[in-house]
Amino acid sequence: MDFDKFNTLRKGLLEFLILGIVSSGRVYAADMMQRLSRTDFATQEGTLYPLLSKMRRDQLLDYEWQESETGPPRKYYKLTTSGRKQLAEFREYWESLTGLIDELGKPSCKK
Amino acid sequence: MQKVIQISLGGHTVMFQLEEDAYSALQSYLERARTRLKSDPDRDEVLRDLEQSIGDKLVSLLRSENRVINRREVDAVLEQVGTVDAGSAEAAGPNTRHERPRRLCRIQEGQWLAGVCQGLAAYSSISVEWVRTIFLATSVLTGGLPILVYIVLMFVLPIARTHDDYVAMQSSAT
Repeated sequence: MDFDKFNTLRKGLLEFLILGIVSSGRVYAADMMQRLSRTDFATQEGTLYPLLSKMRRDQLLDYEWQESETGPPRKYYKLTTSGRKQLAEFREYWESLTGLIDELGKPSCKK
Repeated sequence: MQKVIQISLGGHTVMFQLEEDAYSALQSYLERARTRLKSDPDRDEVLRDLEQSIGDKLVSLLRSENRVINRREVDAVLEQVGTVDAGSAEAAGPNTRHERPRRLCRIQEGQWLAGVCQGLAAYSSISVEWVRTIFLATSVLTGGLPILVYIVLMFVLPIARTHDDYVAMQSSAT
């Protein structure tokens, strides 16, 4: 199997998976990595932080600081309105895409 | 004898004590991160997040022991944090588009023979007429050596159908 090709695909999808995770409520970066750790999308701070700051610049996410008992204050992320909109669009697009892939896989009626 | 260096990390109130080589490993990681993030408008913030994360991991490693951290431990933490991947942040940046395509291909659009000269022209941003002129002139002068090179390149180089395809191949390859 061509894993390199899948890597590119995964890299592009990560942003949407993060939108999905953040939509479940206020989360901080370590939560996200925990949620992804047992999946194909396991990621590290070195990848996640630049991506989160880019998503915030794109106004998909926002964060607020919250005191932590064990260390310095943490950033808790939540979706913005346009983040929620983009996630809904992505889910719809993804559904139509899987539909299309299934359909194209079937033998064509024309001869 | 090892020198011990005391540092603070991204918002942590505790001070960390590092052996000198552990300190330089951490420092060079952060410098590399800074370089990789050079086109990221939020560079300082991302660096601070990374520092804080490294601090979190060191705290859980120490479990409130007040001891000196060695190189091996720092390396393990940096391994967990991973190399800074500015790719996703850079994709939207203004700098990436202007880079010259780096891979040589042969381009079939407008080819005379196999498109090697077209490929060289696109690669070097020299007009294809010039490339062909130089190619023919050197072939005459050296008794055909470039022709041999042409034949080799014909088999070795990947093919782009049009110039647009070539540009698309370059941007997806990075």
